[in-house]
Amino acid sequence: MLAIDHGAPGTVVVKGRLDAAQAPAAQAFLDGVRGTVTLDCSGLEYISSAGLGVLLKTQKRLLADGGKLRLCGVSRHLQDIFGYSGFDQLFEIEPAK
Amino acid sequence: MTARMFARSFDSLPAMVAFTAEVFDREGIDPALLPVIDFAIEELFTNMVKYGIGSTADVRVEIGRIDHGVEVTLTDYDVDRFDVTAAPDADVSLPIEQRKPGGLGLHLIRRLLDSIEYEYREATRQSRITFRKTRAAQEGAVHTEGG
Repeated sequence: MLAIDHGAPGTVVVKGRLDAAQAPAAQAFLDGVRGTVTLDCSGLEYISSAGLGVLLKTQKRLLADGGKLRLCGVSRHLQDIFGYSGFDQLFEIEPAK
Repeated sequence: MTARMFARSFDSLPAMVAFTAEVFDREGIDPALLPVIDFAIEELFTNMVKYGIGSTADVRVEIGRIDHGVEVTLTDYDVDRFDVTAAPDADVSLPIEQRKPGGLGLHLIRRLLDSIEYEYREATRQSRITFRKTRAAQEGAVHTEGG
């Protein structure tokens, strides 16, 4: 399952599994954010290419409006996925502590 | 090896995740390999759902332990040939203006897995994809990414 909601100001918290079944719900939520947003991924256990598509579409939209999507709390496994996808060149990524 | 059939729908994904976790636990497979295995199964399965338009058959997923790792075979029935090992890589060096969602799944699993093989049986119109992942390769991938 996936949980996504607003956290501290300017922050969205995502937890669980962002797979092909959950991607439409995540996209619907992120379509509503504006400006510069930090996505707290410390509770994100898993992401598939469908989830990567959600992040990419959101980043393109925010950049076009002068904002951006930052990713924090990124696990080692997710860092691998982002690195192989070239997303480390498209997003500011802060690893999990 | 343990096998189970899954309806060709994205709605099958939670049951597939439960299945892999169940087999890993029962066969004592290294849980550190689980995210990569779930990732590869989802990418290959969703490809089958999206592109195996003419088929209504369930997809068979078979998981078994091998030395230091795991082997998985997905079998799709009544479908045309689609060799996932021959699909081109995505260009991940493009600037964001030229990047489009999609096309990353096969690109990624080729980098995350030790090996992936494709077999097509014309007589029965079966696609079989077998892949393997071991702990040694997992450590290598982490080391490479960690610089």
